Amino acid sequence: MNLCLRKQYFRPNLIGSLFRFATTSTEIVENDQVFIDDEESQAREAEINQKRNISRLTPAHYNLVNGRKPYEEPKSLAHLTVKYNRKMYGKYGSASGVNPSICFPSRQDIQEKIEYEAVAYPYTIQQMMESAARQRKEEREKIEKRDRDVAAKFAKLEQWKKELNDKLAKKTAEVSAAKEKKERLVEEVRRHFGFKLDPRDERFQEMLAKREKEQKKLEKLARKEAKEKMMIAKLQQKNVELADAKK
Amino acid sequence: MGSRQITEKSLSMLRSLPRISLQNIRDNPNSKLKNKRGRAQHGGDKHGAGNKGSGQRQNFMRLGYETGNNPFYLRIPQEHYYRGHHLRREYPPLTLHELQRIIDKDCVDTSKPIDIASLIKSGFYNFQPDLKQFGINLTDEGADIFAAKINIEVQWASEQVIAAVERNGGVITTAYYDPHSLLLLKNPKKFFESGQAIPRRMIPPSDLIEYYTSAKSRGYLADPEEISKERLKLAQKYGYTLPDIEKDSDYKMMSERKDPRQIFYGLEPGWVVNLKDECILKPKDQELLSFFNS
Repeated sequence: MNLCLRKQYFRPNLIGSLFRFATTSTEIVENDQVFIDDEESQAREAEINQKRNISRLTPAHYNLVNGRKPYEEPKSLAHLTVKYNRKMYGKYGSASGVNPSICFPSRQDIQEKIEYEAVAYPYTIQQMMESAARQRKEEREKIEKRDRDVAAKFAKLEQWKKELNDKLAKKTAEVSAAKEKKERLVEEVRRHFGFKLDPRDERFQEMLAKREKEQKKLEKLARKEAKEKMMIAKLQQKNVELADAKK
Repeated sequence: MGSRQITEKSLSMLRSLPRISLQNIRDNPNSKLKNKRGRAQHGGDKHGAGNKGSGQRQNFMRLGYETGNNPFYLRIPQEHYYRGHHLRREYPPLTLHELQRIIDKDCVDTSKPIDIASLIKSGFYNFQPDLKQFGINLTDEGADIFAAKINIEVQWASEQVIAAVERNGGVITTAYYDPHSLLLLKNPKKFFESGQAIPRRMIPPSDLIEYYTSAKSRGYLADPEEISKERLKLAQKYGYTLPDIEKDSDYKMMSERKDPRQIFYGLEPGWVVNLKDECILKPKDQELLSFFNS
């Protein structure tokens, strides 16, 4: 409100009015005491009070400002709800006229709550503790098993390394032996012809095949001899054993 | 005409004017919003919508669309360490240093057990249960200078913090509250004014059960005997002599603890607190009693 300019002149008036109110209020109190059941005076009193109320507030807001329940009777559907009535009791106490038994949950509320909790909290603390302990144990066991596996494998590591190296060495030796043999054959063929011949030449190929065949034959013979020798040795040993047995 | 005359004249004018009342004052300028959109010279033009384009036509692009650019929400690589962040629990920290300051300022009463409600009431700690914040994480900053003897209940505490509190002859408990209970603890007045019966505290979820049942973390579901053993162990580990609580003058206060179903100190679930009448209503119905004591 635009009162800035009038401030200076307004104040004395206000103070004057306050004093006036003070005097009237005392008079009214006296009147009350004198005519206690006079309807006329009560009506007058009500009228004065109404006139005094220059707040321009709605009755509900006026009640709120003066710390009273805003509505005496329900004005909307919301005012009939349990929640609203609980609120009224919580805020204005027994003066609100609400039966405080409404503040406690009803039988149905309790049933619903129990049903909800059965779904939301399916396990008891004891059950949860057990499952947590079990889970913890499983995790530990898993780690321990892995540790054991690794340790066992590590113990075998040196052996495996040796095996692998041996295998590799054997393979390279075989490869080099085969290569040497082939080279020797080629050299022999060349020596046979007495001059340098292209290895892709037909004669060279024929000779090489022949040589290889001979070589194979020789190898076969050698193997056969070795086998015979082995057999003979075995027989001799058997004979010796038999002779020993006879003795 | 002198200035005095002017004053005199204006004063006399004022005296003759009617008294100020609700009938002869006008509203503040711009205090009333016009309900209509003026046209042409009555505030016409573009009405804040700008000239041309989607602004004027009010056909806005979908959220995140950048008119053909590679949009920001796709341009940024995914951050997998944030996975499940919306489900994680947060414990806003309170340092021991801050706690010491609160105690030194006498904003919290150390002659009574301290819980999250009293710390919120001190005005030096705040949290939001609806943002998945589950209470106080008491951290070890200032553990060396912490010198208060208190019985405190927090939601999360490290070993150092427990040692710092127990070294001074104090007691610390870690306790779980479900978000609804935390809302109640944050603003008890609001809850009491809603005129409802105090609910029960809910049990912790399964991934927290280990913490709140272990004596090492001083959980509220742990065995008290185990806790006393762990107190001794911790004292040996950190090298301080554990003050004997049982011979303490305020042993009763120090040994006070909430029931696992209890939310407020001194108030049991099922009670209705009325602040206006300053009274407590306790249920007598057997069904209610059995529900609230379960």
